[in-house]
Amino acid sequence: MGNGFLARGRWWPAVTISIALAAISFYLLLVLSNWFYLGLADTVYFFSQPRMWQRFWLTVWTSTISMSLSLVIGIPAGYALSRFSFPCRNLFASIVDLPIVVSPAVIGAFLFGITTRFPFDLISEHYNIYIGRNVYGVLLVQFTVTCAFCARLMKASFDMIPPKFELVSRSLGASNFRTFFKVVLPMAKNGILASMIVVWARAAAEWEGLMLFVGASEGETDIMPFAIYLDWNGGMMGWVTSMTIVCILMAVTAMAAMRLIGGKSSVW
Amino acid sequence: MSGEECSRGPSAKAASPGKKAASDRLLFKTFFYSFAGFLFLFSAYLFLSNFDQLLVTEAAVKTRELTTWGEDREILNLFAGGFWKDPYFWKSLNLTLMITILTTILASLVGIPTAYALSRYRIPGKTVIEVLFSSMLVIPASSVGLCLIVMFNYGPFWHLQEKLGFRFAHSIFPGMIIASFVLSFALGLSAWKATFDSVNPRFEQVARSLGSSRWRAFRTVTLPMAKSGLAAGIILAWTRAMAEFGAVLFFCGTFRELPPARFSNLERALHIDQADWLSVAIWAQVEYGNVEYGFALAYILVLIGGISVYAMHRIGAKGYIW
Repeated sequence: MGNGFLARGRWWPAVTISIALAAISFYLLLVLSNWFYLGLADTVYFFSQPRMWQRFWLTVWTSTISMSLSLVIGIPAGYALSRFSFPCRNLFASIVDLPIVVSPAVIGAFLFGITTRFPFDLISEHYNIYIGRNVYGVLLVQFTVTCAFCARLMKASFDMIPPKFELVSRSLGASNFRTFFKVVLPMAKNGILASMIVVWARAAAEWEGLMLFVGASEGETDIMPFAIYLDWNGGMMGWVTSMTIVCILMAVTAMAAMRLIGGKSSVW
Repeated sequence: MSGEECSRGPSAKAASPGKKAASDRLLFKTFFYSFAGFLFLFSAYLFLSNFDQLLVTEAAVKTRELTTWGEDREILNLFAGGFWKDPYFWKSLNLTLMITILTTILASLVGIPTAYALSRYRIPGKTVIEVLFSSMLVIPASSVGLCLIVMFNYGPFWHLQEKLGFRFAHSIFPGMIIASFVLSFALGLSAWKATFDSVNPRFEQVARSLGSSRWRAFRTVTLPMAKSGLAAGIILAWTRAMAEFGAVLFFCGTFRELPPARFSNLERALHIDQADWLSVAIWAQVEYGNVEYGFALAYILVLIGGISVYAMHRIGAKGYIW
């Protein structure tokens, strides 16, 4: 200690590790505080209520549908963003990314205006569905927030595959589509699976857009993050904390599954 | 096979597949571009088509004839709710920029050493730590806000606050910084950690074998190499802090209607009293019925987000998750 400690710069690892431990304990405490607050008996009570599981399954199926829609758009769009070069790429990519980087509350406000306009009014008139304060609105919000996100994740997974495999496949006479389906997609399989899980978790965590665009009606549009807000306003702390526990478990499980598959938490 | 066929074969084969390959390539590119184009158009349409929300409608004017008095009515009936004439707007912008910059500074001071430690040193349970930090990005904002409330308003932290005589929750100075710190730090950390992972530790080892201390090796070797990635992470953390909504709404709430006595002298001197976090202000204005005003604030957030994401693309941040 003392002189050698300072002179050899040993303080640097000590400082970084202690800062890291402080940050980790803050986040652990943040995540675990609900369990300490609620206690085991109440957790078991609230988890055994059907109201909880209705909301859980509503969250699961809405986010599954919006994830599938995002994947349909996101995989080809991600491939295009990853492989093709075109003028004003940065500007193009920035506008594609805008729904991810601005506050989801803003997205909700903007969706509020768009649903009375050109494609949406025709769709709702033709199919006689109302997109707004019902479950279609929930799906639209989740889709809007996740599709650009999905394209970005897909771009990252396609970026990890060297383009020389495609060149080889094409030089051996396979068509472009055949190359994409037989070479690129199987190689990107793990990345796509991992991104799928992240996109699902992101869709299941959407709340702010719903705040401005959809509003909640119990049992219809109150997916779990929204139900937390509703019950918090209703003062039902037990419900709120138990649903927060479910949300945290969902997020942690999704991220653990993603790591197990071999995805990266950050796509650089 | 005759000689004639043999000589003709390859060239004829080369001509027709060449054409076929070109059309195949065109079809292929068109197919993939159309999806990317859909995303682009959807996003552009989403943001541009709402421009007419800034214009005041007849119905809004009539409603305000009934509900609003005095100068307020004339201001609200201007384009975009006359937001530039409202001190609330300037105070809110001031508040949000000030708090996000403070949050970003705090997050980088804590986050860069943390990312370095997680990237370089052997810490037990690293997988669990990474799952914890990456799951913060997909935990709903309402849960984050609620966790903060439960953490600070009950148990030992509550007794601590009672002893100290001030509260973390529902306050501007510690409260908003804490609320926007949580996700901003988690996102910045993922970027910084990826940056340090991409710098080869070998260079640092060489520097240390040549006699420099650990701190000096970090400062003179790793830090310059990781510079652009760290800058992109700082922009990312700031953008995330600007986009914060849920945690601030839960943990801090709104401040516009609070009495002036509720704010300290410092807050009054900095002109951040009786002002709201920008995205919370959007929500409050839209819910209150000042749709034009809310959309004006929303366009300001879109502008800020667009500039920072463009800067990130220019610096070369390849990707990130939200």
